[in-house]
Amino acid sequence: MIARMRLAVGVLALAAGVSAQAEPPLPPPYAGAYQPQGVDEQGLWREMDEEERRFAQSDMIIRDPTLQAYVTKVLCDTVGQDRCDATRIYIVRVPMFNASMSPNGLIQVYSGLLLRVHSEAELGAVLGHEFGHFEARHSLERLKAQRSGGDVLAWAGVLASLAPSYDMLRTYRNLQLTIIGSIYRFNRDQEREADGLGISYLNTSALRPQAAAQVWERLMAEFTADARAKGLKKPRFDRIPFYSTHPPEAERATTLALLARPEAATRDDGAARYRAALAPWLPQLLDDQIKLNDFGASEYIIQSLAESGWTAPLWHARGELYRLRGAPRDLVHAAQFYDEAIALDPAHPEAHRGLGLALLKTGQAAAGQKALLRYLELKPDAADAKLIGMMIPKEVPAP
Amino acid sequence: MRQGFALPPQSGKTILVLRPSVRVAEQSTGGMAEPRAEWTDQARRHIDAALVELQRQLGNRVIAAPEAYGEDARLVAEHQALFAAVSRAVIEYQFFVGNRLPTKKRDNKAGQFDWSLGPDVAKLPGADQADYALFLYTDDQYGSTGRKMLQIVGLVAGVGVSSGVHAGYAGLVDLKTGDLLWLNADFQMGGDVREADGAMKRVRQLLEDFPGSTIAREAAAPAATAQARP
Repeated sequence: MIARMRLAVGVLALAAGVSAQAEPPLPPPYAGAYQPQGVDEQGLWREMDEEERRFAQSDMIIRDPTLQAYVTKVLCDTVGQDRCDATRIYIVRVPMFNASMSPNGLIQVYSGLLLRVHSEAELGAVLGHEFGHFEARHSLERLKAQRSGGDVLAWAGVLASLAPSYDMLRTYRNLQLTIIGSIYRFNRDQEREADGLGISYLNTSALRPQAAAQVWERLMAEFTADARAKGLKKPRFDRIPFYSTHPPEAERATTLALLARPEAATRDDGAARYRAALAPWLPQLLDDQIKLNDFGASEYIIQSLAESGWTAPLWHARGELYRLRGAPRDLVHAAQFYDEAIALDPAHPEAHRGLGLALLKTGQAAAGQKALLRYLELKPDAADAKLIGMMIPKEVPAP
Repeated sequence: MRQGFALPPQSGKTILVLRPSVRVAEQSTGGMAEPRAEWTDQARRHIDAALVELQRQLGNRVIAAPEAYGEDARLVAEHQALFAAVSRAVIEYQFFVGNRLPTKKRDNKAGQFDWSLGPDVAKLPGADQADYALFLYTDDQYGSTGRKMLQIVGLVAGVGVSSGVHAGYAGLVDLKTGDLLWLNADFQMGGDVREADGAMKRVRQLLEDFPGSTIAREAAAPAATAQARP
């Protein structure tokens, strides 16, 4: 009860703090090629340099110079050319919402992030946040905080065992919880600082800073949709578990919305440019998402992308999502979605394939085989051409 | 060592050394590894030099793998990862008796050593100029003053506190077939890799069972090395 009251007071204090909060000042003008200072930072950087040698050759990386150049340009538009020259962006094929920053300037952008943001401003908000970690040297501070915490605990552990008693053990456990908790709280405060820096970059750029809050609002809506599809309780976004590395999503969305410059709300967020740049990769990203077997989240992502208009790849992805869940009612819907895709783009081979497979499973053999035949006409060299051919009687070679 | 494999001393083979994986860190009082750039650089330099010197004594020629780019670099990275995975499996399932992979049980009874990286190693950059590839890995953490103090107090308090981590392994791979010919692993290695002498000792320990080796065991090392010189 007391804990709950304390939490309520904390939330109030937080809300008051937020409304009084001024826009955090930008760090001093960027000094150019920064070199690590002191043994700890040099050690961290050297280790990451070695890791980057290996990571740059990873098969997880999407090697598309056009996409790479585009994402880099969004970062540069957000934080400024001099700052973004300190970084290298690697786009990693992982269908999850995340990006990360290493102390030496290596940025990992997960493909799942590209699928979930809708504009240059939203992508810039996340990249700016990551750059904030870099500019404020957060990895170094975290290393030092963890080291001090670990040192205190190690001494306490050894000293406590000099006088083993129940009280001593209890005191040690309390200390342990306090230190672990403080390391996670330290981490959350760093995230808050990075959020502040990220929104400052966006405020001073030519992009619309209000987009930063949208990213979190949409993510919360996705989590809610996912929980609903799984029949779970509605997730709470205003509080976090003990081991949470990030502040609660609702707090982040509110803070970012408050810190965005109101007069900048009319700026362009680059949504059309973003859609055009991502279009060649959208089918692949959607496919990766659907294969996570996470119906609620995938359906939410497709629907939210369709707010700017349904396209053939979106209808096709929705068809795939329903067909892969595969209940009889899903197959009927899937066939309908594939039909929509074909109506928009009659030469979409995979839509014909999906339609054919969905129709075959619902017992409409003739129509299904016709659709599959059309798939093979459109894409004779498909990897599964032989497999699909076997489902069309005429195509089966005589034994 | 793989059965039926022999590398007579002074046979003049060429050995391709892939960029050794070297990390030297300081161990904080709490046991956390704090990477140290300067130590790592020193260790890399000394280990490279020690490797060339010891292989020269064995009569083998050592060439460093050329810096690779693009597709080649991906191939190298993939093989280094593969070597790490295979050697971990060897250490886990072959070096420790009683911890056997079901598929390797018969091999182990007969004392077989049969592991391979596959024939694709022949495509590695520099592979056409060499007979064997040598992979090398070392991970060192030197206990900080605080860690050592903790160890002493721990001794009084009856709590076991270990100070420092010194692990390393080295493996030789046939560049024609990809077969793993020889592997040596040790998680309690000697030699301070931050200094030239220490690095020499470390590499000597790593190579002490090297095929065709005339490098004697650690105990008699200095004298034996002197004899081995041509």
